[in-house]
Order: sequence, then structure tokens, then C-alpha cells
Amino acid sequence: MFEIDFGEGGEVVVAGRLDAAQADKAQTFLDQVPEPHVIDMGGLKYISSAGLGVLLKTQKRLMAGGGGLKLVNVSNHINDIFRYSGFDKLFEIETGGS
Amino acid sequence: MSRYLSAGRIMQEKKFDRTFDALKDIVAFTDEFFEHEEVDSSIRSIVDLAVEELFTNMVKYDTETTEDILIGLKRVDNGIEVCLTDFNVERFDPTEAAEIDIAAPLEERSETGLGLYLVLKMVDTIHYEYRNRQSKITFWKSAGDQHVRD
Repeated sequence: MFEIDFGEGGEVVVAGRLDAAQADKAQTFLDQVPEPHVIDMGGLKYISSAGLGVLLKTQKRLMAGGGGLKLVNVSNHINDIFRYSGFDKLFEIETGGS
Repeated sequence: MSRYLSAGRIMQEKKFDRTFDALKDIVAFTDEFFEHEEVDSSIRSIVDLAVEELFTNMVKYDTETTEDILIGLKRVDNGIEVCLTDFNVERFDPTEAAEIDIAAPLEERSETGLGLYLVLKMVDTIHYEYRNRQSKITFWKSAGDQHVRD
């Protein structure tokens, strides 16, 4: 189960498992985000390399326009994956999720 | 699904369609095994990630076969042994996957290739065997061993 939508404050909210079966859904949604954006990952339980690829592709597009993604409420486990992948050097990341 | 004794431990095996949609069934299979065998849940996310990356790699690159992929799970001391077998395929050893430069700037980073890199970093040990056109990958992960390899 994976959900992605806009939150009440306009941020992108993701929840569930972002795996290879859900990457297209996430990419299709994020391709519509036109400007720098916050992604609230407080409900995200799992991410694989397919999900990392979605974030990387979106970051490249937004950075080309001078913006970028800010990832907030990232759980410790997912933050570990980000660090092992070098994403802590490519994204603004705030931990705090369960 | 099958169960048999292997080195005094129960090995539980199941075959899965070679599609990404099978991932939810694999998660359910792993859920049941962790619960039934009381495997330490602290290693669950790493096991899920390694299984997904190895499974999807087989689906994406072993395209000359239509046979299901066999996944086996076995409880070992303080952890788990996981085995994935792909049938009637060419040799592909994931332990020889190219290194990724995770310090590279954004514009030089590829959106693919991170999966096997993460597997090799996060599991304790991984073994590859190719025999009779069967590609078999076995990895081990123990609780309390959360370090990654340099």
C-alpha cells in the first residue's frame, strides 16, 4: 500500500511502502510538482532503490530550475538508507518520523 | 509453499511470478515467516530491501525465461538466511556489481544502479552460485549487526 497526495499546507504527503511496484505512481505524481517542495515522509514505512530513483529524478528536474525537494519527518531507518545512498548530500533532510 | 529441514532448521520456500506486482505477495510471505519463526523484527526492513532489489533485478534482466522465481527463508542463529533462485537464465553475479560513487554531484548521479549497491552494503554475507542454468543468490542478515560495509 502506498499513498501520495497534497497535504493541507500544500506539502506532498507520502505513506506506506514505496517499492518498485509503486514507483510509477510516485513519479507520475511528482512530475506534476512544478516548484520546490516539501515532502512529508512521516507515514513512509519503506523505500527501495526504485523510490530513491524517483526522488533523484525529481530533484534533478527541480534543481535545474533553481529549486529542490525538502524531505521532512524522515524515520531513522529511511534516513539510514538516504545516508548509505549519499542522499544526505543531495537533499535537505529533516528526521522525525517514527 | 513448501517446508523442509535444512541443517536442522526449517526452510520455507515459495515461487513468485516474475512481475513487480508479486512484491506484495513476497512481503506477505516474509511477514508470515518473521512472525511464525520469531525472527528479530529489527532486521526486517533490511531483509525486505535486499529481497526486493535482488528479485526485481532478476525480473528486469533475466528476460529470456518465464519461469517463476523461488524464494526460500530460513531462521538461523539471531537472524535469517534468504535464498533466491532464478531458473533457465544466464549467469549474473550481483556480488560483482559496479561500485557507485555516492559522493558524486547530483548531475552525475544515475537514477538506477543503487539497488545492488545497497544490498552489498547492508547484508552480512552474500553468496552467488550458478549451476545448470540456475542462478542462486543466498544472503544472511543477523540482528545486532546493523553496520554497513565500507
